[in-house]
Formats: sequence, C-alpha cells, structure tokens
Amino acid sequence: MGYVAVQGGAEAIRESILLARYENCLDGTSISLTEIKANLKKMVDSVMSESSLYSPDLAALALKQAQGDPFEAIFLLRAHRSTLPRLYFTTVTDTAEMRVERRISASFKDILGGQILGASPDYQHRLLNWDLINETEADVIAFRDQYYAAILNAMEKTAEASFEEEGRFPKVVDSLRAQNLIPQPVLCDEEPRDITMEPLVFPSARSLRLQILTRGMTGAVTALGYAKIRGYGFNNHPTIGELRVGYLPLYVTSELSGVCEEYYIGEIEVTEVEAFMEEDRQEADEKNQLGIGLGYGLCFGANEIKAIAMSVLEHSMENPTPGDPTSDEEFVLLHVDTVEATGFVSHLKLPHYVTFQSKLDRIRDVQRGNNHHA
Amino acid sequence: MQQCRERTRLLIGHGNEEALQMAKEIKANYLVEWILRPQEGLAMIKVRETARQTLFYLGEVLITETKVRIRGSIGLGILTGSHPDLSEALAVVDAAYRAGLPETGEWDRYWDQILEKEKVYKKINRAIREKTSVNFSTMQD
Repeated sequence: MGYVAVQGGAEAIRESILLARYENCLDGTSISLTEIKANLKKMVDSVMSESSLYSPDLAALALKQAQGDPFEAIFLLRAHRSTLPRLYFTTVTDTAEMRVERRISASFKDILGGQILGASPDYQHRLLNWDLINETEADVIAFRDQYYAAILNAMEKTAEASFEEEGRFPKVVDSLRAQNLIPQPVLCDEEPRDITMEPLVFPSARSLRLQILTRGMTGAVTALGYAKIRGYGFNNHPTIGELRVGYLPLYVTSELSGVCEEYYIGEIEVTEVEAFMEEDRQEADEKNQLGIGLGYGLCFGANEIKAIAMSVLEHSMENPTPGDPTSDEEFVLLHVDTVEATGFVSHLKLPHYVTFQSKLDRIRDVQRGNNHHA
Repeated sequence: MQQCRERTRLLIGHGNEEALQMAKEIKANYLVEWILRPQEGLAMIKVRETARQTLFYLGEVLITETKVRIRGSIGLGILTGSHPDLSEALAVVDAAYRAGLPETGEWDRYWDQILEKEKVYKKINRAIREKTSVNFSTMQD
C-alpha cells in the first residue's frame, strides 16, 4: 500500500473558527478587560505567572480570547511575548523592599511587625454565596465606598507619626539566622541563566530551576510539591516560615545621559514563600546534625499555593533523595511547563494518518507472519 | 530637584497627571525631537532569592519606552504596562531636567501635590494593613 500526501479541510476550518466565535456570542453579551481584571484577578495572576509575562491587561485579553481557558491564554501570551523585544534587565530586585499587603507565618505566633492577613479566602466558609447571582454594579460600588469610608475613618483615629512606614517588614528567617539556627548564606552575584535563551541540560543550574518552577503550571507544581510532602522523601512536612503577598519595586539603569542612572519603572505584585525544612547536616567532625534548611518560592501575582509548592520542590531538587521522583530535576523540570505539556498532549489531536497506518501495516505483517508459521 | 530614581518613582507611583501637565508645558515652549516614539517591549526581572542569596530571572514585564531630545539633552521615559502618553511625558520631563530648563525650577507646586498624594496613599495602605493585623493577645482574652 502506497501513501499519498493529501490536503483539504480549509473550508471546514474556516467554518469551525466562525462557529466557535458564534457560540461565544450566543448570549449576546461581552465582558470587558476591566471586568475580567476585577472579577477574575486570581486567574489573571495565574496566567501571568505561567506565561512568564507580567501584564494584567494582556493576560485579561488572552483570557477573553481563549474563552477563559487558561492553557490557551498562556499559549497566546507566550506567543505574544516572543514578538516583543527585550529592552532591559532590571537591577537586582531585593524582596526585602516589598510593599507588603499580606504576611503570615505558620512557624511563629509573634513575628516582628506582626501577622497581617490581608485579603485572603483562607478564612471564609467554602459555601456558595447566592447573593452574587443578582449582584449589580451598584452593589459593588456601594460596598467599595462603604469599605473605603471605614478606612478613612480609621485613618483619622491613628496618630500621624505611625504612617511613615512603607509596608516593609523584617524577615522571619533573619531572626533564625541571627540565632545560628539557619546558616547565613554567602551573597552570590553570579549572573543567572535564562531558560528562554538556552536549552535545558542536566544537571541544571539553580537559577534555571527557580525560573522553570516560577513559570511552571500551577497544577503541576502543586501536585508534585504535594507528592513530595505526602511521602517521597520527607519524614515531616515543611513549615511556612513566612508567606508574603505584596508589591516589588522595579528599576532599570540607563547611560543615556552619559552617566549610569537608575530609573524606577513601576511595581509588580508577587507572592513569596520561605519554608523551613528539617535537614541532616554533616559537621566538620563528620557527625550528622539536625538543622533547618530553607525552601524558596516566588511567583507573579497572588499565587500562594504555587509559591509554597515551588519552595518544596526547589528544596527537594537542591537536596535530592535517591529514588524520589520529586527530587529528580529531569522528571520535575521537563514536565511542569504549561505550554510544553499542553502543547504535546494537544498535538495528539493533529492528523497522524501516516504514522498510524504504518503501525497498522507492521501489525498486519506480524499477524501474517504468525499465520504463515502456524 | 530629585534624583532620577526618586523623580521617576514619584511620577509613576503618584504623579501621572502632574507628569502629563509638566510635559505639556515643555512641549508648548520647546521643540521636542523624537529619538524613539513610544514602543512596547519587555524588561526581564532579576531577583535575589533569600534561601541561598543567588540570582534568578522571575519573568518579564511589559514596558513602554520613549526617548526624546530637547536642546541637545536626551530624556528617557520608561514604565511598566502599555502607557504611550505617560511614557512620552516622562521622557519629556526627564529631558527638561537634564537640559536644565527654567520651567523645572517652577514645578515645586507639582512636587508638593505629588508628595501629598503619596502621603495619603501611604496612610490608606497603612490603615488597610492595620485592619487585618492579627492581635493574638486579644484572641486569648
């Protein structure tokens, strides 16, 4: 049997695209990017994180175009990113400069600066709020104004001097470092590697591992992080030293004026996690000693579960346990990227007519051979 | 006049309207040459992680960049997001300060407005933080 290359289906494809658009318009309504950003913020954050491109406007547009499918939206944003020139690298961003809106610690009740719950669903009952069915724009505005008035009222009651702080807080981990419970790391200024510019080879650099995890698929990073905690290597689960959600200021430098000067360019919302892990350490006298290690997670947006799971996986790969798949960097890093994973699975929908016919031919040949020998 | 770092922080964070107004004044009085009209691009974010104090790339952020020249001095306007008008205004203000244009000496009123807005913004944020600040001793009572 010979194979013949075929083409066709162009008209059907055109109609398929029209039908998808038609089905999206059936209800006769449209949603604005402002509405997406306001009502689906967490989804916008996830899309920005997994596409590795911080732009709430573009993420909202991608979600609208993808009809709310995050995989498709991430694909769109990654594709758009590849059309834009990279004009700058920021100066080194220090997360101690974060303008904190939420910070909690599961390790200590009293932390310097206090625990701040911020805006979180963690403290809400998981019951459907039926009031939202008939919620109107007027309801939203009324609540907003009422809350804002309460804040203004609280402001007036607080002493002027206490307002000087910028929302910056000391880190919980620094107190443990001061007590020598966690070793003080040596500052490393080695330029990071960039997964968007080079292929991944093993063993990988720490900077590549962190970059791949932070842009990894939220579900995949969370599932693998969970697997690590549940039973692949840990005797006890990690403890969140500190989880922060807030805004990081960004700066770039330019020598346009003849001297190198720093320009502030804006701020981005991020989630940062420092998780404490029990570790066996070998001391100079070759005795094993129990210590505390640190796992690190940092993601775009309010993205807490992913940042926690990232800290677990980062530590797992940094301190591998033989036989533990979650500390096997090849297993983890090659499978958590959204576009690579969804792209590969999705390609199964593409025509495989020739390769499948070839498989059938081989099976038929084998069967004929078996019948002949029988 | 603030240093570039502080000036851009205030204009982008709290003084968008003032930046547009400052630029309007300059454009009314001087020839502003384009070196680079507002263009969108990316800035890769370099971060120091706190577990081992190493550097890594967190991802890219969408930016808008503009370059202009006024009386031989080049100004740069750059900020996150898609904001061509503000990017242009920042570039014009930057060039105006670098060229030492006399108008810049009369902008104290703008800076006072911006600083006041920043003060209020910080107050509001502080009040919001305090609302959800946990008081464990109260919980034990």
